[in-house]
Amino acid sequence: MSAAGTRSKSHLLQSALLAAIVIAAWEGACRFFNISSLVLPTPSSIMVRLYALFSTGMIWPHLWATSVEILTGFVLGVLAGLVIGAMISLIPIFERLIYPYLVALQTLPKVAIAPLFIIWFGYGLASKIVVTALVCFFPVLVSVIAGFHSTDKDQVDMMKAFGATKWQTLIRLRVPSALVLIFAGLEIAAVLAVIGAIVGEFVGAQVGLGYLIVTLNFGMDVPGVFAVLIVLSAIGLVMHGLMRFAARHYIFWIQRNDAPVTL
Amino acid sequence: MVVRNVQSERGAYGASVPALASAKPVIIHIAGLEKRFMTRSGETVNALTDINLDIRENEFISVVGPSGCGKTTLLRILAGLSRASSGIIQCDGVQISSPRPDVGVVFQQATLLPWNTVLNNVLLPAHLASDKSDATMKRAEGLLAFMGLKDFAQKYPFELSGGMQQRVAICRALMREPRILLMDEPFGALDAMTREAMNVELMRVWSEERKTVIFITHSIPEAVLLGDRVVVMSPRPGRISEIIDVDVGRPRSLKTMATARFGELCDHIRTIFGAQSLTATSL
Repeated sequence: MSAAGTRSKSHLLQSALLAAIVIAAWEGACRFFNISSLVLPTPSSIMVRLYALFSTGMIWPHLWATSVEILTGFVLGVLAGLVIGAMISLIPIFERLIYPYLVALQTLPKVAIAPLFIIWFGYGLASKIVVTALVCFFPVLVSVIAGFHSTDKDQVDMMKAFGATKWQTLIRLRVPSALVLIFAGLEIAAVLAVIGAIVGEFVGAQVGLGYLIVTLNFGMDVPGVFAVLIVLSAIGLVMHGLMRFAARHYIFWIQRNDAPVTL
Repeated sequence: MVVRNVQSERGAYGASVPALASAKPVIIHIAGLEKRFMTRSGETVNALTDINLDIRENEFISVVGPSGCGKTTLLRILAGLSRASSGIIQCDGVQISSPRPDVGVVFQQATLLPWNTVLNNVLLPAHLASDKSDATMKRAEGLLAFMGLKDFAQKYPFELSGGMQQRVAICRALMREPRILLMDEPFGALDAMTREAMNVELMRVWSEERKTVIFITHSIPEAVLLGDRVVVMSPRPGRISEIIDVDVGRPRSLKTMATARFGELCDHIRTIFGAQSLTATSL
């Protein structure tokens, strides 16, 4: 345990070192080749802009709006995915009846249908929440279905042999077994939620980080765009981290091999 | 059944049947049992054909045979997990059609629930029957102590070795005090050393809790060491080729395996397999 802890600490140090080198090279190259900040701003100018966004308080309403969209959309999309996924897995007729339509829906690019949502749900947060929920829905749906199908046949036999009813097998075996893949779906959905909200805002919004990017880009404020991108990736990392934390807690029996992920 | 009884009374090598075995009442009666499967291409495969076997109370029956001889199918039918295509398979005179509460099963894999502690895994059969009494808890703790797992009650299965997991599975099977214990190659996934230790362990369990045991294995020495009788099965179609009385006294230990009689019995079973013109590698 402590050996693994030391290793992950040294990995963290290596990552930080790599980041420092890349940023230094970036800064150096921009200055040395005199690259216009309209093309590629220096890291220092991005940091100054990032600080200004917060110190002037300019970013707060946008950050708040986008966060609300992401969280609400994520929760709604996940709930829908869980409920419909469970229905499709457990009631065979649903799989035949509605699954093909859900797949067809999924193949539509969300950017293409986002304008429709503006018409239906207006320019406010609702239309972005719907896009976000839709983006989060499918990975959760697929993971729930795959999760229920992943139940070990030998375990099912074991439950039967010890007199379990169908309901007991569902609650005591199938649901916990499904959790492993469901959490994988949640991790994907958490990251996609950020994309969903931004896509929704790009199509038409009056507030939000996506709206802010469009506005700053229009004003040729490229360092500002980069600064907002940093904020967005921070939100994505937090969402992903929360899911990983929850997974560690709820599916503790899965001994994740973290090494290849963090390298 | 008639044919087999004649054979078992004569016994292998004309050895006499132990008096104890014939004194106890028959608990499981199998006659003319058949199991047919349909393959995907629509062909019918005879997994089991003309199985006749009477098992007496407290008997330890080993079933040995190569892969595909239907021994696991037989155990699944005994466990009520699979239905016979035709024939009689009775427990206490009642056809087995679904799992029975007086039967405990140990599978090839430990099949413990990874999100439950060792104690809760052992308690599972009781929990499924909504039995949460103190006596049940005492029984579970007693079983764990008996199997040397006292300090592991609050651990999770992934924290245990393969042999320990299988011991938990045995505790679970014994939880509801079954009369019959069905074991499907329970030690097949363990290394040779652990396997021998588990054999000794199982003999100890059997001497304490006198169950009727049906023990499936593909190891000839294991079958002979543990069994009162060894049912030798052969494949395509799955059938019983011979039932052998193990006329080796109890208590047995790993040293029993070094005795001449033990070797003779193992050799005899190997000869049966050899006569079926199976190559040594497929055994």
